[in-house]
Amino acid sequence: MKKVISSALVGTLSLGIAFGVSAGPVEDQAAFQKYYENKFPDTPTADFANGVYSILPTAREQWEAIEEFPPYEIAIEAGEAFYNKTFANGKSLADCFGPDGAVRNQYPKWDSDRGMVVTMELAINECLTANGEKPLKYKKGKITEVTAYMSFNSRGQEVDVKIPSDDPRALAAYENGKEHFYTKRGQLNFACADCHMLTAGNLYRADTTSPGFGHGTHWPVYRSKWQSMGTLHRRFGGCHKNIRANPYKAQGEEYRNLEYFVTYMSNGLTFNGPGARK
Amino acid sequence: MRNGLKTIALGLALIAPVSFAGSGTTAEHIEAATAAYKKLAKESSYQWTTTVKAIKAAKKALEAGDDKGARKLAHQAMDLVEATRLQAKIESETWRMRVPK
Ligand code: HEC
Repeated sequence: MKKVISSALVGTLSLGIAFGVSAGPVEDQAAFQKYYENKFPDTPTADFANGVYSILPTAREQWEAIEEFPPYEIAIEAGEAFYNKTFANGKSLADCFGPDGAVRNQYPKWDSDRGMVVTMELAINECLTANGEKPLKYKKGKITEVTAYMSFNSRGQEVDVKIPSDDPRALAAYENGKEHFYTKRGQLNFACADCHMLTAGNLYRADTTSPGFGHGTHWPVYRSKWQSMGTLHRRFGGCHKNIRANPYKAQGEEYRNLEYFVTYMSNGLTFNGPGARK
Repeated sequence: MRNGLKTIALGLALIAPVSFAGSGTTAEHIEAATAAYKKLAKESSYQWTTTVKAIKAAKKALEAGDDKGARKLAHQAMDLVEATRLQAKIESETWRMRVPK
């Protein structure tokens, strides 16, 4: 492991020489995706939507077996029931998101009226509260059932996050997420990019790290370690805790901007949630 | 791996200046570390779990009547805040190096 860290440090240094100043989102995205395509030449681009299994043939077989009887199936069914349940005012989530909720490719999106990133989870809660219902918790439980149902019905949609060029606040939110991804945090002094870019595919304790390309496609996830479903922001929090950084609030600005960046980097891949992971 | 990481953390902690001298009550020292932690989290969004742990442990030690132990933990928390501040500073200046071009 020591070796991993020192090679990460050396990697950082040589990257520093190779790479110059910043560019816009379009150039960022091309360079980001190319980085992984070069690093993992055996992985077809579309396959990065499958997380660590896109680069780990040994674990893939086991994962494919799990996917045959997916552990998130119950969540989809429960989500469907909740989705169609009528609120006290006679409406339902379908009044906000259409008959089947297949709106995954509309999120995360920039809301120029409010000047903020809106995620699918946030939009669900806003629909609930606008109709006099109680909001859901953001990391696990009911919210993952609703998003499992909606994501399942959205399978096959293309990731196509937009950063409107006519609103500098959108670019600022993107830049904020980008900075978060590349800055070292926590007492252990790791950046997301250290584990999910520079050393993607290396072993950290018992887990091989997935490429950052593909991180936004498959949520929510049933994770064996959790023995339950979780949202992307739950996972962000877990990675932060692992490096001894205080997790940020799920659906707070920090994580919404991070999701905006991460998902934008995966543009062109296909939404394939819900997912199953170790 | 553990050792490697500890070295990095220790390195950061050692660079951190000794934040305050011996004056004031231990409760005040804990208060100061808490305030510094919150201020930095607000300014930079950088925050470490270990700082929170040290602050909590300091409060607990003080309640248990261990003034010396509590004071030591409060100072440790303050050092961690300083190390976090240093990390935030270094990172804000260098992170762009890591972005592929
Ligand atoms: C110390 C290394 C490390 C750091 C730093 C780290 N992670 Fe992770 N992360 C992991 C490991 C290990 C896993 C589980 C294996 C995997 O990648 O799927 C994981 C999983 C994930 C997943 C789930 C991948 C999937 O396919 O379901 C996401 C998303 C993620 N991390 C995002 C982040 C973000 C964003 C950051 C920065 C805030 C971050 N990680 C920092 C090690 C790390």
